[in-house]
Amino acid sequence: MACLSSSRLCARVQDKLMCQFGPKVRRQTVFVKLKPPGPSPLRIFGKTCQRVTTCGPACGSAGGGAVAGAARRLASSLQSTSTGSLPDYGTQIVDPYRLLEDDLNGIYEDIRSELERNTNQPELNTIATYYFDGQGKALRPMVTTLMARAVNYHVYGENSALLPTQRQVAMISEMIHSASLIHDDVIDQSDFRRGKPSVNVLWNHKKVAMAGDFILAVASMMIARLRSDEVTLVLSQVVTDLVQGEFMQLGSKETENERFAHYLTKTYRKTASLIANSVKAVALLSGADENTCELAFQYGRNLGLSFQLVDDLLDFVSSAQAMGKPTAADLRLGLATAPVLFACEKYPELNPMIMRRFQEAGDVEKAFELVHKSRGLEQTRFLARKHGVEAARLAAELADSPYQKGLVVTTDLVLNRIK
Amino acid sequence: MSLSRLRSVVKCDFVKVRPSSALLSKLAPCAGREVSTSSTRCAVAQQNTKPDWNRAVSEAEKIVGYPTSFLSLRWVLSDEIANVALHLRKLVGSNHPLLKTAKNLLYNGKNNMQAWGLIVLLVSKAAGHSPEIPDMEQDKAAGVLHSQRALAEVAEMIRTSHLVHKGLVNMNVRQVLAGEPDDMLFGNKIALLSGDYLLANSCTELANLRNQELVELMSSAVRDLVEAEFLGDRDQQNNPLPSRPLPEDQRTTASEWDCILSPLPMAGVEGCARREWAARHVLAAGALLGKSCSAALKLAGHKPALQTQGYLFGCHLALAWQAFLDLEAFTGPEPASFSLVGAPLAFTLEARPELYSYIEAGKKSVHDVDYHALYEAVLSGGGIQRTRQLQREHSGRAREVLDCFPYGDARTALANIIVAMNA
Repeated sequence: MACLSSSRLCARVQDKLMCQFGPKVRRQTVFVKLKPPGPSPLRIFGKTCQRVTTCGPACGSAGGGAVAGAARRLASSLQSTSTGSLPDYGTQIVDPYRLLEDDLNGIYEDIRSELERNTNQPELNTIATYYFDGQGKALRPMVTTLMARAVNYHVYGENSALLPTQRQVAMISEMIHSASLIHDDVIDQSDFRRGKPSVNVLWNHKKVAMAGDFILAVASMMIARLRSDEVTLVLSQVVTDLVQGEFMQLGSKETENERFAHYLTKTYRKTASLIANSVKAVALLSGADENTCELAFQYGRNLGLSFQLVDDLLDFVSSAQAMGKPTAADLRLGLATAPVLFACEKYPELNPMIMRRFQEAGDVEKAFELVHKSRGLEQTRFLARKHGVEAARLAAELADSPYQKGLVVTTDLVLNRIK
Repeated sequence: MSLSRLRSVVKCDFVKVRPSSALLSKLAPCAGREVSTSSTRCAVAQQNTKPDWNRAVSEAEKIVGYPTSFLSLRWVLSDEIANVALHLRKLVGSNHPLLKTAKNLLYNGKNNMQAWGLIVLLVSKAAGHSPEIPDMEQDKAAGVLHSQRALAEVAEMIRTSHLVHKGLVNMNVRQVLAGEPDDMLFGNKIALLSGDYLLANSCTELANLRNQELVELMSSAVRDLVEAEFLGDRDQQNNPLPSRPLPEDQRTTASEWDCILSPLPMAGVEGCARREWAARHVLAAGALLGKSCSAALKLAGHKPALQTQGYLFGCHLALAWQAFLDLEAFTGPEPASFSLVGAPLAFTLEARPELYSYIEAGKKSVHDVDYHALYEAVLSGGGIQRTRQLQREHSGRAREVLDCFPYGDARTALANIIVAMNA
């Protein structure tokens, strides 16, 4: 218990520090010290201090100044701890999906049959399995499986295999993701997802909400069957984070600094937490030491943040056809994502629009245009790349294996995707 | 009940309740005693409330200490709930059913929330626990384990979450009707998130108990609740309608529910009044209460055989309870509407299949059903009699289980609750 909570605390702290660009950082450290230290206090404080020193000067000089500037400085301070560019993984390019073909093969079928086994109501089965049609990117199962194999290799060497429990976690990660998508669809009233009508268009909302609960319940039973207290705790954290992220999305902050911090925390909770905790869960299952589990978690967290930043970027640049959902959707939902937040540095007139959640006529179009005129998209890509680079750096610390290379390549895939 | 009437009911409730407790009541269904006791004044107006019941429950609460833990306090202090509270204010005055759900959670007499956690705690105390459990993990004064109290909270959170999600409005159907889709949309959003919040919290609480069999059992109860919402025919707002009664010779044998971790088998259920009623309410209520009781016994280190008895107790009690609620509609003055899947009507329909045409009128909305005609039919037939019999059977089975427990105040309290229900 103690060791787990300490590592989670550590993750929380890092997350908070990463997010708090403003003068709040110092207060955060005080908060950290008040918490019970856990079994390895040195490590926590070591990490905390390191973060504060890398981030402190930037924050001190920023003093609540321009968000973008602070972000850039933070990013460059991050860079100083990393290799600076993506490590050279040789001429041989690893395609993670091909590498894991055997592992991922049939994963959707397995999820579908797991759901089917758990209900005798045909309609419930239809709704619950709707998004498990194999059309998704299966990013979460892929990263989870990749990390599982990379960590197994790291711990046990060449002859290690994927544990059945680890594959279960890969399935669970996709199920939790889909359950949250289904509830998002009801909340956002979206019409299309993954290039087909979304669930709330086809079935009534009560049933759709129930189907989301059902998927979560089945996933929860699968988690329980892994019979690992630690893994259950780690994965239950994901569900809490998802809901808290959704709550954060309902509100917005007054000042620019708070707003960016709010945005990053929300992004962690809504997207990165699932990836981070799933890869941590497979690392725990492989029996890796605490440091390796933490490394896996941080990899997932950075990859997740990078992924969501790119997603927010694509909402502005990609075509509706490529995404399988309408573009500028976030603006229409009243959400100010990174590109807008960066853009308001140059165009302060965006501030009132953000505050009124782009509700007035013409707001969406105007904001869209201003974002394109500003350097917001570029800055968002820059921040996404920084997190990608950090993830790649962490992956490079694992023992050299095709899977470890795959983890590095994945950070590139996430950055360069077009949908 | 018509929408306009519903609206006035909701509104008048918000006039009665003080602003601070209005927030509480909306958010924390298991909220502090003060709120619900102050609401008993409202309950007095309810005609069917029997003092026996209130006495049985309040005496039982004394036996296990405070009704639930300080869950309510924790909720009020949490950021998310403060956030919802702000948003919920906007809903006051709209006719989103979330408000009705919130109201029912507190005021619904015998079906109130405290009672569910209370049963779990009483069963915990009645059965006692193995002597090996360290003192640190016990609530000596109340005679239950801290983990059992946490479990009682989880049971209530799961149930509340489900009720809140059930209270969503089907927007795609409604948009044509309602002049205020924004309110409805917003209400749905808040209802969905609040329910998710409770569900997420129950996941975390369960994980903290560090007992994976328990997590599996309770998760399966969540699944059962969801299944209940898909059983049989529905109107456009997902209100349940009974299935067309099958003639005797077309009924197939029902399979047993051997493993409660698997979903309830549906063979031979639909169209057979008693089985359909039982399946519906086992899924919607009995499974959660039964599994919670069983889990409480598991936490106390009891043998699987006793855990099964715990499950049976919860299940039968929930069914007896449901039969009692179904009867309530037919004991007082004629209500404007009543459950179409209640036992009295189910038995009446089985005896007189031609009445099913009244049900078919409600395919679009249960409000279109001629309740008066069905009411008369139930009163003139043997439906009420058979429901009484059903209630007696389930109460009897629940009481039999109580005999497995040693004699004590908690066992007596449970027995009293069963008696009060039959009164």
